[in-house]
Amino acid sequence: MKAITQAFLLATGLLALGGAFAIPPEATYVGEKTCIKCHDVEAKHFSHTVHAKAFRLNPRNPHEARGCEACHGPGSLHAQRGSEKVREYLRGFTREWGTPVEEQNEACMACHKGGQRVHWMGSIHDNNKVACSDCHNAMGRFSAQGLLRTASVNETCEACHGKQRAEFRRRSHMPVPEGKMSCIDCHSPHGSPTRPLLRADSVNETCYPCHAEKRGPLLWEHAPVRENCMNCHQAHGSNHDKLLVAARPYLCQQCHTSPSLHAGQSFRGDQTAGAALSGGSQSPRMIGRSCQNCHSQVHGSNHPSGARFQR
Amino acid sequence: MTLSTHVRVALALGSIALSVAARADGIPGPAAGNALNPAPVNPSSAGRWMDVEGIGTRIPAARTPSGIPYNIPHDPGGEAEEKAEGWLTSGFVELGALGVWGDEKRQGWLNYKDLRDGAYLNGFAFTAEKPREARFAEAVGGGVGREDQFYRAQFGRYNDWKVTAWFDSVPSVSTTTYRSLWNGLGTDRLTLNTLQPGGTTNAATTQANIQQAVAATPESELAMIRKTAGARAEMKFGDSWTLFAGLSDETRKGSRPFGAVFGGGGGGGNMEIPESIDYDTVNVSAGAQYSDPVNTFNIRASASFFRNKVDTLTFENPIFITLNGSNGLNPSTFTQGRFALAPDNQHYNVRAEYARALPEFFRGNLAATVSLGSMRQDENLLPPTTFALTGGSVAAGGVSLANAWNTPNALSRQSADLKADTAMADLTLSARPASGLDVRGKLRYQEARYSGQYDSCNPLTGQWGRILNDGSGLSIVTANTTAGTNPAGTSANAYNAAACNLDAATALGLVPATGSAPVRTAPNDYRQVIGTLTADYRLGRTSSLNAALERENMRREWRERDDTHEDRLKLTFVERGAIDGMIRASYEYARRGGGEYDVTAYDPLLSAAIGPTPTQGAVAVPSWIHTIGQFRSFDLADRTQNTFNGRIDYSLHPGVESAVTLQMKDASFPAEYGRTGHQKADSLTLDLGYQAGSSLVVYGNYAYQRGVTEQKGVHPNSCTLGQTYYFYSDGRVLNANTGAAAPSTPTGTTLVGSQAVSGGNWRQACGSASAFSPLFPESRAWEVEARDRSDVLGLGIKYDFGRVKLDMSFTRILGRTRIAYEYNAAALGLSATQVALAGDGLSDLTFAQNVLDASAWMPITNRIVMRLVVRHESARVSDWHYDGVAANPMPANNGVYLDAGPQGYRTTAVGLFFHVRI
Repeated sequence: MKAITQAFLLATGLLALGGAFAIPPEATYVGEKTCIKCHDVEAKHFSHTVHAKAFRLNPRNPHEARGCEACHGPGSLHAQRGSEKVREYLRGFTREWGTPVEEQNEACMACHKGGQRVHWMGSIHDNNKVACSDCHNAMGRFSAQGLLRTASVNETCEACHGKQRAEFRRRSHMPVPEGKMSCIDCHSPHGSPTRPLLRADSVNETCYPCHAEKRGPLLWEHAPVRENCMNCHQAHGSNHDKLLVAARPYLCQQCHTSPSLHAGQSFRGDQTAGAALSGGSQSPRMIGRSCQNCHSQVHGSNHPSGARFQR
Repeated sequence: MTLSTHVRVALALGSIALSVAARADGIPGPAAGNALNPAPVNPSSAGRWMDVEGIGTRIPAARTPSGIPYNIPHDPGGEAEEKAEGWLTSGFVELGALGVWGDEKRQGWLNYKDLRDGAYLNGFAFTAEKPREARFAEAVGGGVGREDQFYRAQFGRYNDWKVTAWFDSVPSVSTTTYRSLWNGLGTDRLTLNTLQPGGTTNAATTQANIQQAVAATPESELAMIRKTAGARAEMKFGDSWTLFAGLSDETRKGSRPFGAVFGGGGGGGNMEIPESIDYDTVNVSAGAQYSDPVNTFNIRASASFFRNKVDTLTFENPIFITLNGSNGLNPSTFTQGRFALAPDNQHYNVRAEYARALPEFFRGNLAATVSLGSMRQDENLLPPTTFALTGGSVAAGGVSLANAWNTPNALSRQSADLKADTAMADLTLSARPASGLDVRGKLRYQEARYSGQYDSCNPLTGQWGRILNDGSGLSIVTANTTAGTNPAGTSANAYNAAACNLDAATALGLVPATGSAPVRTAPNDYRQVIGTLTADYRLGRTSSLNAALERENMRREWRERDDTHEDRLKLTFVERGAIDGMIRASYEYARRGGGEYDVTAYDPLLSAAIGPTPTQGAVAVPSWIHTIGQFRSFDLADRTQNTFNGRIDYSLHPGVESAVTLQMKDASFPAEYGRTGHQKADSLTLDLGYQAGSSLVVYGNYAYQRGVTEQKGVHPNSCTLGQTYYFYSDGRVLNANTGAAAPSTPTGTTLVGSQAVSGGNWRQACGSASAFSPLFPESRAWEVEARDRSDVLGLGIKYDFGRVKLDMSFTRILGRTRIAYEYNAAALGLSATQVALAGDGLSDLTFAQNVLDASAWMPITNRIVMRLVVRHESARVSDWHYDGVAANPMPANNGVYLDAGPQGYRTTAVGLFFHVRI
């Protein structure tokens, strides 16, 4: 096969690199003690995990009681001298071992099917062939909870989501770098009916548990607020105040142009408090809270006179 | 209904549900950390270093299937004991002292953390385990006694049941440069420290007094502290069932910057007041999960109760305000204002999910989700004012204001009585019709239905509209009394006799004085349907191609556009074998369109609904036009969006890993006004890491992000019936009575056009932007372009010197937003001074921050490790919103700004701790 063709096929993965994974049927379970004879380091770390506690101290069924082989499959063939490097003889969860991601995930789902994972199939993580072991490492207690492969949810997610890692360092952000929030306060990485893998049915319903004062409903609603908080806010971080997507008053002017009042006016640098000291004409729309100097109830008002969000 | 009653009802219904504040299954409660402990305290690894034996006997280091290296685990101190009969205990306490130097009182340092001088219990963990019975208990915490303290406790039986409880506290500091003129921060009444409520007898004296008072007031902090406590229990029943229940209570107390205004029609006096925050949110939830090899079922019921202990805020007013719309009132009457802050509300939700494997149907799977919710609020409504308004009358029509608006009887109903019901249903069917091919169809429906539309009409007087800002302004709908508009002798008060019957008022056929006064609230019902078809094909053992086609329809009841739809096509390619790493790439094309954009969509909710539009008389008509005809709100506008995402993980060398991600997003807004042109957002990240084993780990990352947004508007002119507008070559627009002589042509210009406005042509002549539009002349158009740029650099090293171990990280952030604008100075009538000050853009919004975190560990004994911690932060912030505020807090006699904005800071905290294993 010509080199160019070979390279092309390699690049598109069409080269046959092996058949579907399957531990041969003649493999049998050998028990944890056999595994630990060679894998004492793994055993040391594994013993501190919740899997080890569950499997060893209170297995609920024979599958769990198998310990190592509950996840890795029957290990008799792998344990035979000379065949320990044959990949098909054991289910592995690292890149080096090469067990297909689909097979790895099926092994985890044998016990962890259900709960959040009901929406895993077809989720964006599934479509991108993310393996359970891309985020989790069941071989040691790296994290306090959740058997993550790093010390925290945030560090785990940020390894792939560097864009969001950077956004959370901006001038206004939610307290994720400060250890007070994590990605899974808003997202459900195992799957969700929503496109951005939200924990709730919509963006707003994701925000309301922590921002319940915005939930209302309110007498005078601000329609784009009610529809989607992210019309005005950038949830991961912003160079603007209050996680806004743009600077006020220009953000507000992307919807408001009222010709009978001031919303559509031209606002410029001659209208700041500093410019006023040099002969400029100050405008409350360019100083401090900008439009919210007056329209402070921008998320909606429950005052009978609050139609313009001023009370 | 009181909070306790609501809770009792919820529990009586058996609706104990998963706590809304809880997070993913098995990890309930807040993140359980703080700035010095950004990762939750891990009893197995705290105070320990990486294991020299690495992750495995045969493989010292390994990578995830995507190619990301696994961390080297910390040495847990040996294998866990599993044979003991009794309880095994362990734990640690890390305590010492913290010293802080520099700008420790600045907002940037204080926000979200509490690092102050003094004794400091940084962290602790206690664990107990009874292996024979599989019982365990664990408690962790840190920042003890500080505003960012956190605790979590768990106990139970492995693989059986578990109870988790937590407490977390986080300070949220809005500003540390606020000069408060009030006492009573955090309460429902703010009283002026020294100034006279209502001002003096004139604006100039009042302004001088306020400026003096502000100058004498030191800067102070406006902050809020959020505390959350909760508990969750879960229990397995057999192999298939898990039941869970949870409860959490979150309080928020403090103050944050807020704005208050008097008058109306553009504002008659604004000031920054401190909004009092005293919130309490209780969440209760419970549910069940079932799973067997074929079926999966989840059900969860939750309830959330929000209570605001300061739902009415009264504040004393120091400004000599400007009144609007009334006669006979004295500005100094308005000694105070009153806000209706966030009302108490409740949220109920039931959600059920079911999935079934369909092995007989092409190895398929069916998943369905139904979620029903309801948000409710029935707060007693405040009377529009506390003032009797004695002696005051509506300027148009003369109806007395006295004692007509300071009673609940002035409202069309006494309580909010509002409800928003939501429903969501999602159905997904997937199958594998051929080897390597998965197909999936998904249909999702979501709706919100609001009830409780409110009429803004005073039953005592029959007046539609409202008084503004405690009566200092008016927006009351009167009949138009401009000569010729309505039949001669029409009273401005003609609508009042209809006694708040809108149909009866409309039947009078009288043109109102304005077309934009709100008279009814809008129930923002919407319905959304999303259909998606996906095909995932395995190209080979290590690569796959995914194609997804999606259509989203959205129907809104009260927006400018009834219907919008968006079509998306997304292609995703994943390759795991071509390189020693992973390639992921996706491209998405999205196109949004919809029905007609109706700029008069809100008219039925405005005074425009009460009578016909004007056709005669010298009536100014902008209030009937609402917006530029070509303007499109960005969330409804047509849009074409292209998004490319790419990621490559690649192993450069054993132990050296790299990754690069790229996102490029381009959204095109074809509208002429509003968001225009191409909105772009690009992001490039680079990651490099080297793990030499437990003795050395080095990593670095860099992110470059940029964005561009363009928008365009028109500085409105005017549009009055019976006027002719004259357009000049420099962009100026002048007007004169139609039929009268034209204004003198301004020096240096020529007349380029004219447009007469009449009752028959005003909407066509003035409704859109054009060269000769009297209201939206293109010469008065302005454009703004905002360019964002962000650079974030992260570096880290973990190094074992032998006896001393170092863990250090450094982050540098540079953010900048540059806003440029274009406008026609002559058309806007700007002076040379104004033009010089405005220039072609604002000073950059910048944020630059360095954060250094370092820990050095040195064992003293086999149980005590000394830890030196250094955290250094420095930042510079520049925000043009606050230019000159500190020096000029009252640039006009009716506006006072008390928050000087974010400040730079340089602060270092050094802690000496002793980590003691117990």
